[in-house]
Amino acid sequence: MTAAAMTERPAYSPPQQYRLTFVGELRSEWTKLWSLRSTWIVLLCAVVFSGGLGALISASVPDDQAVGGADAALSFAMAGVSLSSVFVAVLGILTITGEYTTGSIRSTLSAAPKRLGMLWSKALVFGAVVAVLFTAMVFATFYMSQALLDGTAIGDVSLSDDGVLRAMFGYVAMIVYLALLAIAIGAILRNSAGSIGFYVGVIMILPQLATLLPWEWVDDVVPYAPGNVPNTIAVVDTSMGTLSLGESWLWMGIWLVVAYGLAGVLLKRRDV
Amino acid sequence: MNARSAGRSVVGMIEIEHLTKRYGKKTAVDDLTFAVKPGVVTGFLGPNGAGKSTTMRAIVGLDAPTAGLARVNGKHYSEFRSPLTEVGALLEAKSVHAGRSAYKHLLALARTHGIPTRRVHEVIDLVGLHEVAGKRVGGFSLGMGQRLGIAVALLGDPAVLILDEPVNGLDPDGVKWIRLLLKGLASEGRTVFLSSHLMSELAQTAEHLIVIGQGRLLADTTVDDFVSGNGKARVRVVSPDAARLAEHLAGPGITIASPERGVLDVSGTEAAVVGQTAAAHGLVLHELRTDRGSLEDAFMQLTADAVEYRQPTEGVK
Repeated sequence: MTAAAMTERPAYSPPQQYRLTFVGELRSEWTKLWSLRSTWIVLLCAVVFSGGLGALISASVPDDQAVGGADAALSFAMAGVSLSSVFVAVLGILTITGEYTTGSIRSTLSAAPKRLGMLWSKALVFGAVVAVLFTAMVFATFYMSQALLDGTAIGDVSLSDDGVLRAMFGYVAMIVYLALLAIAIGAILRNSAGSIGFYVGVIMILPQLATLLPWEWVDDVVPYAPGNVPNTIAVVDTSMGTLSLGESWLWMGIWLVVAYGLAGVLLKRRDV
Repeated sequence: MNARSAGRSVVGMIEIEHLTKRYGKKTAVDDLTFAVKPGVVTGFLGPNGAGKSTTMRAIVGLDAPTAGLARVNGKHYSEFRSPLTEVGALLEAKSVHAGRSAYKHLLALARTHGIPTRRVHEVIDLVGLHEVAGKRVGGFSLGMGQRLGIAVALLGDPAVLILDEPVNGLDPDGVKWIRLLLKGLASEGRTVFLSSHLMSELAQTAEHLIVIGQGRLLADTTVDDFVSGNGKARVRVVSPDAARLAEHLAGPGITIASPERGVLDVSGTEAAVVGQTAAAHGLVLHELRTDRGSLEDAFMQLTADAVEYRQPTEGVK
């Protein structure tokens, strides 16, 4: 060793036991989700809204209108569940746009510079939370609604009836799908107001308004709009819908692939 | 010296090669090339908008270069299996969700790498945020935000630290603390690269300097060489015979200013010459010293040159 080398400062060796892993990213997103007050508030709103509205509507249905079979029973029970998808979508959007508006995305992507892991783990964690919460809500609301409708023509729907259980999980899947779509929209637009506006305007309202347009082709296209494709999976009698059960699942998959494909490409390409 | 270091980059070396970054038509960084070595604190100096933050963001992969490379240990940042232990970065003061507590912010980052909560508490104590760690970051002062950012940078106990304006918003105690902290980290053999527009601060902390202006490299040198090479040395004389001394000193290439009665600032000559002139004419001197010029003077001079180079003006000297 030369004298010059001996006066050099020692080489520093960083800790070797730590690794960036996908499981680590999942745990990180879990921590981030529950460490914000807004998560608790919005999910509480979603629970109160879906349970409360389902109960209110079920309780106020006049006996002579409580007809129409299992689908009618479910639509009364799940009215609040469907509407609370807005809360879930807004929260999904905020999990990612909130990172951009506050600047915490720079910390997040410095820790996970490959970037895509952040998107997948956000989607998986939030999707799983929504799935668990709304499975519970769908069943709770169903039993509550049935108790309130007891004695009417639709007050004796059973889970073992043909298609009922599938339709109830269809509601859960629909909400998870909308939540995932919302996260992708947030990742693409990166702005809270813009993303929420886009979701409410384009995903929720536009397909409804479009049916008022005078052109026939609009009616042909509207069932394939991202906000409409899950409709078939949440009904007991699927023969009425434009899309079959299989087509409904297929189109949900197509829209998710399109949305996440675009979100992923933009996430990789854009500066943070 | 040994075979291991021969074939590869030095551990902790930051290499910037022909880095160019444009945002639309604006060129933020223009063909920048330099290296930052481990074991010393390297200052990154430049006026606002010179491209310091852009360069630092490119190193940690947040901004993709328009051309050129920014690498650490010969790798692009995203190639590291454990980015937080390789490079710790403080980029902008608030890279934190305002609604999250300092502890949860650190915990979320730690979990990505499997870093234990024990280490989270360690860095919180190290930066002095123990009492407010459970509070929402939205209520933090600028100085507390900086301390949290430093905690984030230190979380993985990394080999390389990149700190963008770390003293911003810190009180004098905090400034002193971070100066000692950074020197200590460098003495452990880590690479410490910090930007500042507070030139005096860098003079006290850094050994090496990278100076940029308008996205271009102006100097890559030691602090000592930078000051002596760019600062205008001048001789300060205090004398009751100042006026007569000035007459005798006057000559080509010599400028004399008198900031106050009985005081002369002489540049273009040396203290020895001034002393001899005074002795030769029997003039009394109360004080005779050489001012080396501050880092600030040197910096102003260098960046002024850069501006002149880009916008030549005729008839102005």
